[in-house]
Order: sequence, then C-alpha cells, then structure tokens
Amino acid sequence: MEKPCTLLVHFDKGSPSMANEIKSDLEGSDVAAKVDAMKRAIMLLLNGETLPHLFITVVRYVLPSEDHTIQKLLLLYLEIVDKRDATSGKVLPEMILICQNLRNNLQHPNEYIRGVTLRFLCRLNEPELLEPLVPSILANLEHRHHFIRRHALSAISAIYRLPHGDQLLPDAPDLVDRALAGEQDAAARRNAFLMLCACAQERAIAYLLTNADRVAEWPDLLQMAAVDLIRKVCRSPNRADKGRYIKIIISLLSAPNSAVVYESAGVLVSLSSAPTAVRAAANTYCQLLSSQSDNNVKLIVLDRLHELRASHRDVMVDVVMDVLRALSSPNVDVRRKVLDLVLDLLTPRNVEEVVMYLKKEVVKTQAGDLEKGGEYRQMLVQAIHSCAVEYPEVAGSVVHLLMDFLGDTNVAAAVDVVLFVREIIETNPKLRVSMIQRLIDTFYQIRASRVCSCALWILGEYSLSLSEVESAISTIKQCLGDLPFYTVSEEGESTDASKPAQPVVNSVTVSSRRPVVLADGTYATQSAATETAISSPAVAPGSLSSTQNLRSLILSGDFFLAAVVACTLTKLVLRLEEVQPSKVEANKASTGALLIMVSILQLGQSSYLPHPIDNDSYDRIVLCVRLLCNTGDDVRKVWLQSCRQSFTKMLAEKQFRETEEMKAKAQISHAQPDDLIDFYHLKSRRGMSQLELEDAVQDDLKAATGEFTKDADDANKLNRILQLTGFSDPVYAEAYVTVHHYDIVLDVTVINRTKETLQNLCLELATMGDLKLVDRPQNYTLAPESSKHIRANIKVSSTETGVIFGNIVYETSNVMERSVVVLNDIHIDIMDYISPATCADVAFRNMWAEFEWENKVAVNTVIQDEKEFLDHIIKSTNMKCLTPPSALDGECGFIAANLYAKSVFGEDALVNISVEKQADGKLGGYIRIRSKTQGIALSLGDKITLKQKGGSS
Amino acid sequence: MVVLAASIISKSGKALVSRQFVDMSRIRIEGLLAAFPKLVGSGKQHTYVETENVRYVYQPIEALYLLLITNKQSNILEDLDTLRLLSKLVPEYAPSLDEEGVCKAAFELLFAFIEAISLGNKENVTVAQVKQYCEMESNEEKLHKLVMQSKINETRDAMRRKVTEIEKSKTDRGKPDKGGFGPLRTPNSFSDMGIRGGGPGGDPIFGDMDSFTHKAKGRPSAPAPAPASASAKVPGGMKLSKGQKTSQFLESLKAEGEVILEDTQSSATQSRSSYIPPSDPITVTIEEKLNVTVKRDGGVSNFDIQGTLALQVLNDTDGFIQLQIENQDLPGLNFKTHPNTNKELFNSQQIVGAKDPNRPFPSGQNETPLVKWRIQDLNESSLPLAVNCWPSVSGNETYVNIEYEASEMFDLHNVVISIPLPTLRDAPGVTQIDGEWKYDSRNSLLEWSIILIDQSNRSGSLEFTVPAADPSIFFPISIGFSASNTFSDLKVTAIRPLREGGPPKFSQRNRLVTANFQVVLRLARLFPHLIKALCQECLARLRCEYTCSAIPESPRGKGKNEVEC
Repeated sequence: MEKPCTLLVHFDKGSPSMANEIKSDLEGSDVAAKVDAMKRAIMLLLNGETLPHLFITVVRYVLPSEDHTIQKLLLLYLEIVDKRDATSGKVLPEMILICQNLRNNLQHPNEYIRGVTLRFLCRLNEPELLEPLVPSILANLEHRHHFIRRHALSAISAIYRLPHGDQLLPDAPDLVDRALAGEQDAAARRNAFLMLCACAQERAIAYLLTNADRVAEWPDLLQMAAVDLIRKVCRSPNRADKGRYIKIIISLLSAPNSAVVYESAGVLVSLSSAPTAVRAAANTYCQLLSSQSDNNVKLIVLDRLHELRASHRDVMVDVVMDVLRALSSPNVDVRRKVLDLVLDLLTPRNVEEVVMYLKKEVVKTQAGDLEKGGEYRQMLVQAIHSCAVEYPEVAGSVVHLLMDFLGDTNVAAAVDVVLFVREIIETNPKLRVSMIQRLIDTFYQIRASRVCSCALWILGEYSLSLSEVESAISTIKQCLGDLPFYTVSEEGESTDASKPAQPVVNSVTVSSRRPVVLADGTYATQSAATETAISSPAVAPGSLSSTQNLRSLILSGDFFLAAVVACTLTKLVLRLEEVQPSKVEANKASTGALLIMVSILQLGQSSYLPHPIDNDSYDRIVLCVRLLCNTGDDVRKVWLQSCRQSFTKMLAEKQFRETEEMKAKAQISHAQPDDLIDFYHLKSRRGMSQLELEDAVQDDLKAATGEFTKDADDANKLNRILQLTGFSDPVYAEAYVTVHHYDIVLDVTVINRTKETLQNLCLELATMGDLKLVDRPQNYTLAPESSKHIRANIKVSSTETGVIFGNIVYETSNVMERSVVVLNDIHIDIMDYISPATCADVAFRNMWAEFEWENKVAVNTVIQDEKEFLDHIIKSTNMKCLTPPSALDGECGFIAANLYAKSVFGEDALVNISVEKQADGKLGGYIRIRSKTQGIALSLGDKITLKQKGGSS
Repeated sequence: MVVLAASIISKSGKALVSRQFVDMSRIRIEGLLAAFPKLVGSGKQHTYVETENVRYVYQPIEALYLLLITNKQSNILEDLDTLRLLSKLVPEYAPSLDEEGVCKAAFELLFAFIEAISLGNKENVTVAQVKQYCEMESNEEKLHKLVMQSKINETRDAMRRKVTEIEKSKTDRGKPDKGGFGPLRTPNSFSDMGIRGGGPGGDPIFGDMDSFTHKAKGRPSAPAPAPASASAKVPGGMKLSKGQKTSQFLESLKAEGEVILEDTQSSATQSRSSYIPPSDPITVTIEEKLNVTVKRDGGVSNFDIQGTLALQVLNDTDGFIQLQIENQDLPGLNFKTHPNTNKELFNSQQIVGAKDPNRPFPSGQNETPLVKWRIQDLNESSLPLAVNCWPSVSGNETYVNIEYEASEMFDLHNVVISIPLPTLRDAPGVTQIDGEWKYDSRNSLLEWSIILIDQSNRSGSLEFTVPAADPSIFFPISIGFSASNTFSDLKVTAIRPLREGGPPKFSQRNRLVTANFQVVLRLARLFPHLIKALCQECLARLRCEYTCSAIPESPRGKGKNEVEC
C-alpha cells in the first residue's frame, strides 16, 4: 500500500519556494513569516519534495514557538513528513526529537493545543514515538475540559489499535470503560464507546446491554455508535441475545434524530429478515421519505427501499401506498424513482389502488400548470401504461381519462398516450367500441403529426361496425377541410388558407435542415415528418383552425401524414364495402376518398410548398388510388388483416422479449452445478444475510478508499506486456500496463545487460493527451546483469487515447556523460475506458442531437455480410448494440444500428452504423461517432478505422 | 458512517483543498476529485452522485464545489448535516469564494474542516464552536501565564535574597581565611542579577539584610559590604530612604567598632577575591582577561592578555581625584588611556587624572574604564596552567589521562576543566582524580573542578574511562579559572583628592580571568571539528530534554562560545 495522503492543498507551481528561503524564514523570529514558511514547507512536502534538511530546522526553531497557529501547522507538517526510513522502514532517529515537544503540548495549559495534539496522535503510527507520550495522554483523560477528553479518548483508541498497541496501553479498555461511565459530554462518550467497540467489544456490549433501557435517551452521536455496534455484533455467530438488540433497535426507530432512525432501519433489516422487522424498517423509511424535504435523502431512502424490495418483496407490497405519497415531491428524479419502485410492487390486490392514485396525479397535472408538468404527465402515463399491460383489467378505468391527453401540447406524453391506446385496443377487445368512439370524438384535438398518424392507424384498423366506419370517414374528412387544398388562383391571391400556413412552413424548413436519425436508426437527410413534429411540438395552435388539424399539418408539408391519411381512408373504404349493404354509399365514400388523395397529390406537385412530395409518400398514395379503383380479394386481405396480424405479432414479440429478460434475470440467481452447497446449520455464505451485509460494509469502505485489489488475472497480464527497448540495448526494459479506474500503473522491469554498474539509472516518462505523471522519477543503481522493478503511476482524467513515451537515462563509471535509451511508445487504449451500456431510445436521440463532436468514418472493409460487419464493429469497439436483434434480422441488403457505451468517467459514446450492400457485393456506408468531448470522437474513430478492415476473422 | 474526505474543488476539477479522514493513496483521492466534475450533471435537483464505489455529496459555492466523499453505506442524513456545516464555515474563513480566496485560506479551511469532522465521524458542533476551537483562546492559558509570571517574579526575589545571603556568608567566612577562598564561579552573573533584580523587591531584601547583619553582630570581622551595594542599586524614588538606611547601617557598623576603610585596604593589599561589590565611595577594578589557544602537542597560538582599569565613583563630589598606579615592567605591555585623561601626567608619573581638573570623573553605578592595556607575545612558559590530555584506546574502552601543571606565579581559584565526551548513557568512570568532577550529560561534558590551585597542588591529574571513542572527541578542552593577581601586576597605590579633604576611602579589586582558554587538537581542523561537536551537543541536549522532564531554560552557553570561536 502506498503512503496514505491525508491532505491536499492546491499548489501553484508558478511560485516555487526555495528550501533555503523557507529555512531562513523559519529561523527568524517573525511569527507571520514563520507561519507562512511553514505553509510553504507543507505545500512543498505535499507536492513530493522531500526537504530532508528542513526537519532539523523545524525542530530547532519551530518546535519552541509559542504561537498557536505555528503549533497547529507544525502538527500538520509532522503528519505528512516521512517518519520512516524509505529503505529499512525504521523510524528515523531524529524523529525522537519531536517527542518532548508533543509531551509539552500534551501538558499545555491551553486546552485546544492539548486537543489538537491528541488528535494528531491518532494519525501517528510509530510506537517508538508514542511510547514516551502515553502517561501524558492518560493524564488528559481526567481533564475537565471536554475538548481534551474527546480527543484523548480517540488517541487512546488509535494507539491501542496499532500493531502491538495493546502493549503500549495494556489497561486501555479498563480506563476507557471507567471514563465512559463517568463521562457527560456526548462526543467524548461516543469516542469512548467507539474505542470499546473496536478494541474490547465485550465491554461495549456489556455497557450497551446494561444501559439498554436508556438508549433512547442517549445523545444521537452515541446512539449512532450503538447502532453501529449492534450491526457488528450480530455478525458473530452468537445470536442468542439477538432479541435484546432488536429491542434496542426498535426503541431507536422512534429516536428524534432522523440519522439515527435511518441507520437503525438499515441495521434492523440486517439483523432479522422476519416480516415484522422488515415491515418496521420499511415503514421507517417511508416516514423518512415523507418527513425529509431534502431530495438527496429521498433518493437515497428510495434506493434503500429498492434494496428491500429485492429481498422482501412481499413485505414491501404493503407499503406501496406510503411510497406513492412521495410523488408529492416536485423533483423529477424522485418521482421517477418512486414510480419505478411502485411498478415493481404491483400485485392484483393493490393495482387498483395504485392506478387510482396515479390517475389522481394525472388529473392534478392537468389542473395546476406546473413546470415540467408535461414530463411528469408522461411519466405517469408510462406508469399507467405498464400497469395496464401487466393487469389489463385496470385499463378500462384509465384509458378514457388518458385519451383526453391525446391533444396534449407535450408531444412525448401524447405519443405515449396514443401508443398506450393502440396497445390496449388490441389487448382489450371489450374496450374497443368505447375507445373508438372516444377517439373519433377527440380526434380533432390532436395536434402532433406523430400522434395523428398513429390515431389514424387505430381508426383504420379498429373501426369495424358500419357506424364506426362512417363516423371515422366523416371525421377525417372534416379534419381535412374543404377540397381542394390548393388551387391555381390561390397562388397569386394568397387566400386565407395559405396565408396562415406560411409561417409554419418556414419553421418546419428551418428546423428540419439538420440531418436526423429515424426510429430505425437510418439517417434521414430530407425533411421527415416525424422530425418536424418533435422539433416543433407546439405547432402554433393559433394559426390552425381548431377542427382542421389534418389540413394544416398537410399544408405545412407533412406528406408522410398525408400518405397515412390516404391509407387509412383506403382501409376504411374497403371495410365499408364489407359492412355497408348499400353499394351506392360505399362507392360514394370511395370516390370521396379518391378525391382527397388526388388533391393531396396535386398539392404535392404544385410549387406552392417549398418541398414537393417525396417519392415514398407519392408511391403510397398512388398505390391507394389504384387499389380503390381496382380491388381484389387478396389485396383486401392484406389491407384488412395482415396489418393487424403483424401488429399482434409485434406485441407478442415485445412480450416475449420481456419474459426472456425476466428469465435471464432469474437465471442469474440460480446456482451453478459446481457451486458450493450451503448447509443451513453451518456458517453459510448466503444464509446469514447479516454476515454478508457486514462484509459488504467493510468492503464498501475498502473499495471507496481504493484498497481493494482484485486478483489480477495473470494470464491476462502477460498478454499486455510491452517491450520497451531492444534486446541488444545496454538496458532492457519491458512493462505491463494495468489500467485501473482513474489511473494507469506501469510495472516496468529494467535489466542491466552490461557488465558494469549503472548509476543514477532513471526512468523518465512523458505523456501526451490527458495523462499526468504522479510521482517524480527516482534514481536507482543497477548492478551488472541485475534487474529492477520500477512502478510508475499515471493519472487519467478523461477518455482519450494517450501516449506515454520516455527514456532510460543512466551513468556508468567510465563514461562521464549520461547515456540515454529511448523507449518504445506506450499507447493507452481507449477500449480500457469504455464499457457497454444501455440507454433509452429517446435518450440516445437526445444525446445525438445535443453532442457537438462527430466523427464520420467511411466504411471500408473486406467483410461482405452486413450483419457480420456489425458484429465485428461491436466486438472491436466494446460497445452495446441498442437496436433490437429483431430489427436486424433478415436479408435486405442494408443495416442500420445504434451502438452505445459509457466511459468510466461518465462520458457517453454514441455510434451509428449505416451500411448498405452495393452492387459489387462490397459494403458501403458510414459509421458516425458522436460524443460530448473531442477525445472520444477522435479516439474511437481512429480505433474503428484501424479495426474495420476485419478480414482476418 | 465515515466521511472519506472533505474537499473544495473548482468547477474544472482542480483540487484546491482536501482533507482525508481515512487512509487513502494520493492517486486515489486525486482521481476521485478529478472525476467528480464529469459526474455532476446539470439541471439535477439533488446534490449527490454515486459511482461504483463512492458517493459524493456536494454543494456548489459560486465557482466551486464543496464536496464530501463518503462510502455508499454512509448515512446520508448525517453527511448532509456535515455538508451544511461546512458550507457555512467556508465563507467564514475564505476571503472570497473563488479559487484564489480558497487557496489563500487553505490552511484555515483545513483546520476548520478538521474540527467539524473527527476522524470521519460527524461532530455535533456549530459554526460558533468551530470558530472558537480554531481561535484557541484559552482562559486557562492566560491564567497559567499570569501564574508563571508571578512565579518568575517570586523566584527572582528569592534568588536575589539567596545571593545576598550567600554573599554575606562568604564574606563572613572569607575574612578569617585571609581570602583563601574565592567564591564559586558566579561573579559575573551576580552583578547581572543584582541589576535585574533591582525591582520592587528591594525593600524586603534590605530589611532582611538588616536583620541579618544584626544577627551577625557578634562577629567582629563582618564588613558586610553587600547591603551597601544593594542600596546603591535601588532606583530613583527610593534613594533617599535608602541612602539614610545605608548611612544608618554604616553608622551602626562603625559604632560596633568596625573600620570599613581598613577592610577595603586589606582587601586591596591582600588581593582578595575579585568581586567584592563596591561598598566604598570609590572602587577601582583591575581586570585582565586571558585568551589562549594551546595545541594538544604543545605550542601556543594566540596568547594574549587584555587588561582594564576601571573606576567607579559613587558620589559626584568624590570625583575630583587622581590615581597613582604602579606596575611591573613587562615586554610587550602597552597602555592606552581614556581620551579624557591627562596623557602627559600618565606617561611621566603614572598618575591617572582628568585632563580638565575641574571636571570630575563620572560618577554613578557604572564603571568607567580609564586605562586599557594589552600584553602580547608571551611565551608558553608564562602560561598560568598547562593541561595535557592523553586518550588511549584499549579494547572497547578509552582511557583518558589528563594532567595539569600550574605555574608558580599564580594561585588559581575555581579551576574548571571541561572535557567533551562522546555521547554517553551513563557518567564516565573516573578512576583517579585530584579535585572534584561532575558529568554534565546535557552537554556531554566532564567538568573537572579544583577549587584552588596553590603551592600545595601545583600539579594534578585525572583519569577516566569511557567506551571506545575517537581521541579527537575529547578536544577542545576548555579551561576556566580566576586568579587574584595579574600579569601586569598593576596596582593603584594611592588616590589623591584634588579638592580639600583627606584621602578618600577606596577599594581595589584585582583579578585575572579566562576569557577563552582552550586546548585544541590541531588548529587547522578546528572548524569542522567544532561543527561536529556542536551537532553532537545539540542532539545530546535534545535527547536529554526528552528523558528528563525538567527543561532548564538556560541557553547553551558553551555551544555558543564554540560557534563564536
């Protein structure tokens, strides 16, 4: 383990302070100059200078100083100065010189000097230095000032815990026990109690149990310590008196200090998995959730509840309504977490209640025009949606309410609603009639083109009876307004219809200039209908006549929607022909539909709009026209049934995927065939949850301080060996590079290949990119043909391809000049920093729009199969494919997929692959990388360019 | 429940101040802090970020982040409390809430952080308490200082009293012994202390003195000059009564049949020990200082003597005088006189008198040097004392033989020969000694003292053993002594008044003291050697301070001398 670092102070390298300058200031008698010099000395020390000669100066001139600030700085200095010999690990002999001063400080009349000195002793690890101080420390236990007693107790605790510390202070537990009994100050009691917990647990337990009745009246600091002790105690197999601890914990659950309450609840769960205990803990958490106003607390308490849910779902189900109450918080993150949690806790019993509550919330968002109301509403809609998917019986109660939101100005929420409606209408045939009726009634309110097209599809698909079909057709016609859309005369005169449409057209063209990705991941450079809706959600309702929403959308150039209208009408007419007994009526409807289609085509080809109709929409509308003129049975079948079938199939597949995922999740917890078997009666790994939990706390701390060293895979390590110099160089060097989270460790082996002793051998490294060397290089002496391991730490602060280059410099006895061996460059691979991650489709698209850096790589590969190429890229970039496999299935000659990864620094890397099989059998297309920072875009691009060739595989 | 670190970083991730409460490596904490700004998203309404291993709880303060790093199991409620406290502390200590301000107040902030979080655990403190803790104003300390001050004053008084008492008893004893016993080596310090101690404590001492003299009434020979000196040193406002008292005192002495004039004369003729405080209206001090460096293998370098004749006149009416002096004629002796003295008179008749007969010699407490002289080019044979040191190593012991040989010319008082020793745990084993020895463990010195060297013991030796050591360690040996006759043998034979009246009473003090008398190993190597000795001494002193609980506050007199030389 490296030397621990206890403080950091920013050091401005611009003003290097010379050691002798500091020295002369320290020797002077000016207090202010001395303080300043001490500060500079500490900063230099922190910055890696060793200043070995300064210590004696400090001892001679700073130790005797009376000034308090100097004394405190001195303690900091002593804290960070090297107290041990670097090679032997023994305490430096001159360190003994500080003892007298420390002793004086421990007997200083100023209680704060005593206190801070005692606190410093907590950080002193050298028994040699502590030994002479022990009597003074113990004397301070009796001091009447609490500041001193507090720190004396911590110092005793720290000393006792040192290796062989029990020899320094053999009777420490006794003393502390006595001190604890007579102590009044809360912090001092806490420190005493903690000392007992750490060093003499049985005494601490005895104290706790004798005072069990009074624990509730203890000060909160002590209560925290007690809770902590209980957590520790319950780790030991002796669980006979578990009941007594539980009693204490239960009494603490009603403590006035919320921190204690929170902690107790956590311990209670680890103590017992009995439903009562878990329920008590869950209730406590819920109380905290409602009583604490701080969002941080709410979020973390929700995390705890999530954990509880994972292990005790049955109990958590009961508190679901309490959890829901937290929705009153205005914070979006809190609300999202609450909804997530609640959705996991649904049962047939409580789903009704939950949905009712959610419904109420939805109504509330309607009433108060809250900020972010739209986002919240969207969340609620999604939540209700998933409720309804899981428990279809509740759908009926909410779907009508939700359909009011089809005309929501928040497009995302409206889209969610319409998707919900689409799913429900398929899965709940009972609701179909009322829903269609409702949809027809509210259709004119729909503003967004995406919602419109989806609603049209529903109308076309699910209007079955005669009256439904007829009213659907009339609604559409009404929404389209009078025909034609465009007449030649309007061109010159600019009538009412065209005038208000003009600004809308402009806004659309402006917003659609940027290239966008379509839902399937393809790259659309033309103005796509869906995009316009997203980028301008409020399509200026004032400029549209209230009922003719379709008309205005189409006049704004949305021909995709126009094509949907055409298809819907075709479908409705076909259906009408089936259900309408009167042929005349059917033909009338058919001609009406044909007229509309033709008008649309006419509009599309006129010069009125800046963009003419796109070919795809044109083709579809023409197809519809042809179809209505010339119907046939098979066509009819395709239009009226296959569509629905494929939708059902899609839903089924979605369901299937979800169950697959569930299964995959469930599978993880299954034991492997070669797993160890846990015996219930023996100490087990899984059975005793508290055991695990305690270890988790310990591990957590270790992981946090970076002490955790995973057993490195040796084979893996050997794969990464880099040769740095040639075999015939006088110094051979090779390194293996270990990449941790924020740092790179180079383990360099240096071998002297000559028959001479190399002196002052130094491994000098320099870096390019966002890398920083931590330590300064040291000099070594290398005997003939001996080797040495040198370790270098390099700090990384962002994902970027870095290069480390350097050289080895050394001296030999007969050559005066220093010799230099230049090393091979070490390239730090970006792949070490990014890991596959997932994100929602919407989030991906938002990021794609937002990020500033794009790197476009043209596809150039020998791979012939587009699927294979995609797999190759995924493999070589270590990213995750967000496009579902079903969308990638089949042979169609092109592929479009989104890949996503996250770096350890939290940066996002987005990749879109659009490849097409060309006539000559080769693949062509582009890979686009987007990221917030230049580093990722560039490095990832380089990586892809390098790897995309493939071929070998 | 542990806070790993409390930090302030700039928005760009530059760590300005950070205090870690748990052991972690530098690279780790720097990495954590550098990663933080990337993790903070914008537009979030909560102020914590969790990563795989740690949780950051933060608060933006203008262009900075105040940040607590905790483990993920940490109690968020406590951490938020702590963070709130810290956020109140930062503006208290930082002059401005930007990088510069925080850097400037970095250490103050650190101290405040330390008070707010003890070893990673939350402390229940308020901002006011933290401020109080950081200011470290302690009533107890003030009280302690007052007590110490009054104790010092008391001790000073007591010391002064003691000194006068000792002085008294010395003079009591000294008389019948014909001045055979000199005082121990305190003369210089005595006069210093007398002056320092001349505070408000004067009266009780004096009273004490009075009673003391009364007690000593029975002794006919008690001249008791000390009270007079004490009275002479009392500052202004009390002078009148003091003067009366002195005269009363003298009167009573006279009434008891004591002849004070005789006493001074006898002291002058008998060359009594050098430091009788001036009790007479006129005091003449003749002092020679000896500066010698002798090489170990013989040979003298730098042997010279500086002498002064100084006059102290108590009352300005007594200032109209001339001094008749006589001296031994020595080669290399040359005089220098004060510019205000009559040079012709001095050269022709050896009379020291003022140039302007109407101007008296200055009067008061100060001694006025009138004549100075120097004796140079003396040879080795005239050394008053020769010291030979023979260290020899045998086995793992070093035997050191030291012998001295004094010349016939002087009777030496209070001879102290200090031999530097290697750093020892125990006192050296002294096998044979003429005189007494003392081991000064603080300075690692063996002090060999001989109270008097006269005809009876013109030579003597010391033998001791120490663990094996480099022979050079025993050098330089420094020697101190005093003698009551001088090289020049200058004397004041008479004092003639210039105005009417009989010859005034006067006392005369002659003495020879050593300013610097050393036996060194080799002159060329003197300097590095001294450095080494000094360092050792330094270490030894400090080590000894750590073992013995008392810390004497006296400066390292010896070390200083060595540096100067």
